[in-house]
Amino acid sequence: MKHVFLIPFCTLLLLSCTKQADYVRFTSWQSSPTEERIIRQTLTDFEKEHPDVAYQFQPIPGNYPEKIQLMLGTGKAPDLFWLKGDTAPAYMDFEVLEPLDPFVSIDQNFDEADFFPVFRDAFRHKGKNYGYAKDFNAYVLFYNKKLFAEAGLIGPPKNWEELYDFSKRLTKDTDGDGKNDQFGFVIEPSIDIALPFALQNGGELVAEDGTVRVGEPEFIEALNFFMSLYRDGVSTIPADQGAAWMGDVFSREQCAMTISGSWLIPYLRDNSPDLEYGVSELPQGKKRGTLAFTVAMVIPKQSNHKKEAWTMLSYLAGKEGMKTWTNSGIALPTRKSVALSNGFYEDSVLNTFMQSVEYAKLYKINMKERWYDESQAAMQGIFYKNKDIEKTLKELGKTLEKYTLD
Amino acid sequence: MKFKSRKKEQLFWGYLFLAFPLLLLSIFVFFPIGFAFVVSFYDWNLLIPDKPFVGLGNYFELFKDPVFIKAIKNTIIYTIGVVPVQTLLSLFLAFIMNQKIRGRAFFRTAFYIPAITSSVVTSIIFVWIYSKPGLLNYGLNALGVDSNIDWLTNPVTVLPSIMILNVWTTSGYFMVSFLAGLQNIPASLYEAAKIDGANQWQQFWKITVPMVRPVTYFVVIMSLIGCFQVFDQIFIMSSGGPDNASTTMSYFVYQNSFKYFRFGFGAASAAVLALLIFATTLIQKKYFPPDVY
Repeated sequence: MKHVFLIPFCTLLLLSCTKQADYVRFTSWQSSPTEERIIRQTLTDFEKEHPDVAYQFQPIPGNYPEKIQLMLGTGKAPDLFWLKGDTAPAYMDFEVLEPLDPFVSIDQNFDEADFFPVFRDAFRHKGKNYGYAKDFNAYVLFYNKKLFAEAGLIGPPKNWEELYDFSKRLTKDTDGDGKNDQFGFVIEPSIDIALPFALQNGGELVAEDGTVRVGEPEFIEALNFFMSLYRDGVSTIPADQGAAWMGDVFSREQCAMTISGSWLIPYLRDNSPDLEYGVSELPQGKKRGTLAFTVAMVIPKQSNHKKEAWTMLSYLAGKEGMKTWTNSGIALPTRKSVALSNGFYEDSVLNTFMQSVEYAKLYKINMKERWYDESQAAMQGIFYKNKDIEKTLKELGKTLEKYTLD
Repeated sequence: MKFKSRKKEQLFWGYLFLAFPLLLLSIFVFFPIGFAFVVSFYDWNLLIPDKPFVGLGNYFELFKDPVFIKAIKNTIIYTIGVVPVQTLLSLFLAFIMNQKIRGRAFFRTAFYIPAITSSVVTSIIFVWIYSKPGLLNYGLNALGVDSNIDWLTNPVTVLPSIMILNVWTTSGYFMVSFLAGLQNIPASLYEAAKIDGANQWQQFWKITVPMVRPVTYFVVIMSLIGCFQVFDQIFIMSSGGPDNASTTMSYFVYQNSFKYFRFGFGAASAAVLALLIFATTLIQKKYFPPDVY
């Protein structure tokens, strides 16, 4: 029966021999059915607007970065695809993406100035723009109103001292077994949770010009405060609660506050619909600071349909497409006009995210990919092996020097 | 067709039938293996057309990379921990399953089920068992042992925890191999031993163990190779963490090739892994050959 396997094999061979498709292939990942429904809605609207552009939507359900990398490497990349902000520097550095400035300059409707500055320049590399941010998310503070009321607290913490003090007052033993089972706060041994604290303290992982700054006093001081929350027992970590992530701990009311992006909102709606929560900007240190996450739409250099792909990008990241895409609040708009017309500034929850944009720093590290695992390893060392913070960060600084982009 | 001799004719038809599978194997197995070695001498980034030749550069860099050194160490600890336990356990299980005990079919199935269950599924189940409020801590506490650690984020317990999972999942598979071996042992040997007054224990060590030696050889080699290549459990359960305490060589290969865009460097580490497996197998073949009788 060996020949049975031949059929798919030959079909594959034949398929790969046929000439390039004459439609735009658009690829994204998919994180939820809701997301897929809205993408398809946006695309249907696009069809009505531009019936002349033939396209096919080909989502990749899993292992997205690996798949895209292989597709690019073998010349089979889609004509338009999503690229995560934190992996973008490597792709821009490898020069596999098409600079979009020539398209922008002749596109009347695109209106680049409408983007918030932090997102307009998010994918600018060596003076060229390689992508446009389709939406964003930012870290804000979620707090449990019921637990706050029980502890006699009214509003969310405004600064580090209050964060520590509130966490302490919200930490307690509810079932009387001598062990705390409700915590004020939850953190994670992850560099992106620690980074906002460093930013608030005037620190930074890597400066814009590529200087590694993780070993500097500002970062060390911030991480000392961050770790004191856990080491003093007023904050927990997901692993201690058998939870998968911080939002999970928050939804089970095992902690009263958590840092999260807006992805926590649908999660809470599904998992604990009765939980009353409030959202506020992150408490500030010496200054305000948070991280913004974004996803770019990019066109690869190897595409044969750049013009059509741009028409699509211009619509999807344009005023109309972005309005449909972000209307439900599943993602937040990177264009000021869309935020205004969607009424996000009037919504108490979404407004918090929009306010954070003013000072948010983009989560985009200009380093070779390995910086992430090295940083995570350092954080895990501090959390799980009780390593000395100052020494570990200084060592991490030295390690990261090896992964700077030139 | 005319053939000069019968032997030639047989050769012709033999190769003809082999030709197609051989072609497939060449395209999808032999060529990629050879090509990986070639790639390991280049700075090979899929996304950049320029792929400079670096000679042994990748290999020199590998042995200066602290994470790789740690990965080798972890892999060796893992292998040394798993292989003997696994082999003994599966032989022992097979020995029991070969007796006439009640519910034998049930036990055989029960021991074999982990082997046919997807490793992703078993890994996820064990993630829960090993978690802080998980079954393991619950069981230990019920037994009076005070245990409140998260087994997979504790740098000391993470590797042994994954090792135990692996012993559990693959012992059933090797048990079946041993069972086949046990059934080839003539009953007369045991009868003779009984007449000489050997007890069960002596029979096991003096008859069973030597007689299944060819199977043991097979099991040890397969289990060695499997351990050196351990990947899926690490990928799902610990992602190499905490602080690289469970990073193994194949996980390192994956990370460098597919996450850091460094196919050349990844291929070089894969080559080192291949050499390590090859060397271990050779040593085993030399010092512990399958047949000595």
